[in-house]
Amino acid sequence: MRFVRPDLHVLAGVYSIDAIADDAERARFEQHLRHCQQCADEVRGMAATATRLGFAASASPPARMRDHVLAAVARTRQLPPATDHGHVPAEQRLRMPRLAWVAVAASLAVIVVLATVLLRTHSELDKVRARAAAIAAVLAAPDARVITHATSAGGTTTAVYSLARHELVVASAKLPPPPRGKVYELWLLGPPRVRPAGLLSAATHGHTALVLVAGVLRGDQLGMTVEPAGGTSRPTTTPIVVLPLRA
Amino acid sequence: MDAHGTRPAGASPGLPEGRGQDLDGLLATVARGDETAFAKVYDRLAGPVYGLIRRVVRDPAQSEEVAQEVLLEVWRTATRFDPAKGSAATWVLTIAHRRAVDRVRSVTAAAEREKRTSVLLIAGDDVAEAVEASLERERVRRCLEGLTELQRESITLAYYGGYSYREVAGLLGITLGTIKTRIRDGLIRLRDCMGVT
Repeated sequence: MRFVRPDLHVLAGVYSIDAIADDAERARFEQHLRHCQQCADEVRGMAATATRLGFAASASPPARMRDHVLAAVARTRQLPPATDHGHVPAEQRLRMPRLAWVAVAASLAVIVVLATVLLRTHSELDKVRARAAAIAAVLAAPDARVITHATSAGGTTTAVYSLARHELVVASAKLPPPPRGKVYELWLLGPPRVRPAGLLSAATHGHTALVLVAGVLRGDQLGMTVEPAGGTSRPTTTPIVVLPLRA
Repeated sequence: MDAHGTRPAGASPGLPEGRGQDLDGLLATVARGDETAFAKVYDRLAGPVYGLIRRVVRDPAQSEEVAQEVLLEVWRTATRFDPAKGSAATWVLTIAHRRAVDRVRSVTAAAEREKRTSVLLIAGDDVAEAVEASLERERVRRCLEGLTELQRESITLAYYGGYSYREVAGLLGITLGTIKTRIRDGLIRLRDCMGVT
């Protein structure tokens, strides 16, 4: 049992009603929750209290919704049960998603597991596990969609995206190595503005490592350009591929 | 594991209908792939799920979309529901609230914010209008009235309005420290008033 840090403990209320918008702050509190039984109990009671507020807002949904949901249920596979009571290991979570794009998800999972095997130290492994869990969460999102497109440089780029999570995962296959001193850079091409979204690593066996992109907004497109090594803050060349992220 | 008072027996502090235990059992059946059991869960929770989402999101079409996503997620992840961590109703409504908040808390939704604020301020008796169980509605209303004005406003803006505590602090013109404390104190008072243990 650790000391309850009052500054963190007071977050139990706002945490219980999803009023912490800052991901890092929420993650810190969740970390704290794992060690603070008192906080976990408090959050549980407050979540049950919030449920009562939720019930007080009940309203009749449109009648058609029932048929829609039941029809979707009939064609949706359930997740396999967790095999332990704690955290599901990243490798297992990667096998969770079973949607129409199961083949793509599976091949992405293989790449992550492969990367895991290739890494040596524990800290590297931990980082990869955390990243794999984040990637798995995107792949497992109920609203996850996949889009694949050939690039004008050859090969294909695939994005699995969840607009609800505001995240996407980028993979590529058979993309030729960029010209010497250059790199492939990703962009979120949005109506508000163009934002850099990370660099592709050098390919291993024809696949680049998965890139997790956060801050994806409805209406964004994903673009990729060839930029000087290290990347730039604004695209300087014509995209070799643009993937629309339709809702 | 302490199942806590969130799993109501008899007088049901956790659920208006007093049938929370049934719901937990139903969800366990759903986890085994039973679509008929899911239909029963739907009939019990679609109203609260849709109503809560609609209250946060406001737009009926978007609310319907989010509610469908949530209910499908309940089906998909029923296998992961752990009754030791809280009741089925709380599990489902927590997912619903989180999804509703995700929907409104994106930059693209920023433009909608002002619209929502003005609607929110005149929508105070939505709660009263929409509730199915009038006893439960009355109890919640009475408990909300037992809060200080600041506690009530903070919790209403955060929970029904989908605002972050920073946004609520900005709206009410108070410090971040104060808002965190008021929301926690208010929820504790609500919890005690509602008999949630």
